[in-house]
Amino acid sequence: MIIKLKEVPICASNEFELIKITDSVRNFVEESGVKNGIIHVITEHTTTGITVNESLPCVEADLMDSLDRIFPDDYPYHHNHYLSSYGTIGGNAPGHLKSLVTGNHCVYPIVEGKIKLGGATDIYFAEYDGIKNRKYMLHIMGE
Amino acid sequence: MVIDTHVHPALFKEICMDQERFQNRCDEMNFHLMNPTDLPTLKKQYALAELERVVLLPQDCSMDYGTAIISNEEIKQIVEMDPTFFIGFASVDPRNDNAAIILTDAFERLKLSGLKINTAKLKMYPNDERLMKLYEICDKYQKPIIFHAGVSLEANTISKFAHPMEFEEVANRFPKVKMCLAHFGWPWVNETAALLVKYENVFANTAMMYMDSPKDLFEKVFKQDLGKYWLDHNFADKVMFGSDSPRIRPVRSKRGLDALEMEESTRRKVYHDNAVRFLGLEE
Repeated sequence: MIIKLKEVPICASNEFELIKITDSVRNFVEESGVKNGIIHVITEHTTTGITVNESLPCVEADLMDSLDRIFPDDYPYHHNHYLSSYGTIGGNAPGHLKSLVTGNHCVYPIVEGKIKLGGATDIYFAEYDGIKNRKYMLHIMGE
Repeated sequence: MVIDTHVHPALFKEICMDQERFQNRCDEMNFHLMNPTDLPTLKKQYALAELERVVLLPQDCSMDYGTAIISNEEIKQIVEMDPTFFIGFASVDPRNDNAAIILTDAFERLKLSGLKINTAKLKMYPNDERLMKLYEICDKYQKPIIFHAGVSLEANTISKFAHPMEFEEVANRFPKVKMCLAHFGWPWVNETAALLVKYENVFANTAMMYMDSPKDLFEKVFKQDLGKYWLDHNFADKVMFGSDSPRIRPVRSKRGLDALEMEESTRRKVYHDNAVRFLGLEE
C-alpha cells in the first residue's frame, strides 16, 4: 500500500469564489506512481468546501447564488456575536453553513494511474469566507 | 473610495517574525486562534472594502511590559512598504520620562501622522498631567489624536478611563488639536454624540463591533440609540469609517454601513471626506 499526502495552498481573488482544482488533483495522481487506488480531496477549513460539478459559468453562478439565497448575509445568526475565544466578531455564519452544504471533501477512484472522473465533472475548492490563505489536502491510498 | 481610520496591524506577518513577541501581543490585545497574514493578502482583503488609505495604530504601554506591543518602528516599517496606502500613527507611554522626546522623534524622524492613546490600557484619565505634554506636542506639530473611547476588549484594561465624557476637558483645552473618539465611545454613544456637537475638533469613528452583525449594530446605534436623523443632520462632518480590523474584516464592517440608511452626501463624508480633513490630507 502506498499512501501519499500533499497540502496545496490556495487563495481566492474574491470573498466568495469557486476555484477549479481538477488539474491540480489530476496531476498529483499521475505523478504519484499509484496505479490503482483512491484519492481524497479535503479542505482544511470550516468556511470552505470541496465540491464537484460541471464547469459552466452559468452553473457556477447558480450554485453560488442559490447558496446566498439559502444563507443570506443579513440573517440574525447565533454566530453573530463577540467571540472571546478569538477576540473577534463571528461574522462568517453563512460561510460555515455553505460549507455544510457542499461538504469538506470528495473521493475518486484511481484506475491505471489516472483519476476516473465523469465526462462533465470538475472538482472545485469553494471559498465562502475570503480572502484568506487556505490549504486543501490531496490524499492518495493505493498500489 | 474609503479611508479606514482604525486598523491594528497586530497580525501583519511582516512584524510577526518573532514568535514570542507575537504571542505576547496577541495575549495583550486579546487576539486568539488567528495566524499572521502577509501584506499582499491583506491588500486583497482591503480592496474588497474599496479602501484607498488605511490608518495603522500602534500601542505602547512599555512601562508595564518592557516593550511596545506594536512599536512606532514597526508602524514605520509597514508604512514604508506602501507609503501611498498606509498612514502610520505613533504611540508613546506617557509614564516614560522620555515620552515627549519619543513622540517628537516619531513625528520628526519617523514622519508618523498622528498619536494613538488608549487610556483604558494605561489606566489613566485623559486629563492626566502626564498626557498634557503629549497633547502640546500634537498641538505644535498639528497632528491628530485617536483616543480609544468606550469599552475596551483588550486584556488588562479598565473602561472607565475611556468614557467619552472624560475627553471633554482635553477637547476644551486643545481646541486646535483634532481628536477622534474611536469606536464611537460605545456603549456611551449619546455622550460621544454630545461632544461631536459641542466641539469642532472632536470626531468619532465607526469601529464598534461588539454585538450582533455590523448591519444590526449600526442600525441599533444610529437609528435607535441615537436619533434617526442625527448622523445626517447633526454630525455628518464628524464621523469617519473605522473597521477595528482584525476584530472584523473591513469589508464586513463596510457592508453593514452600506446597509444603513443615510444621505449619499453623508455616506461620502463618512467613508472618505471626513478622514481627509481629520488627517490633513487635503491637497
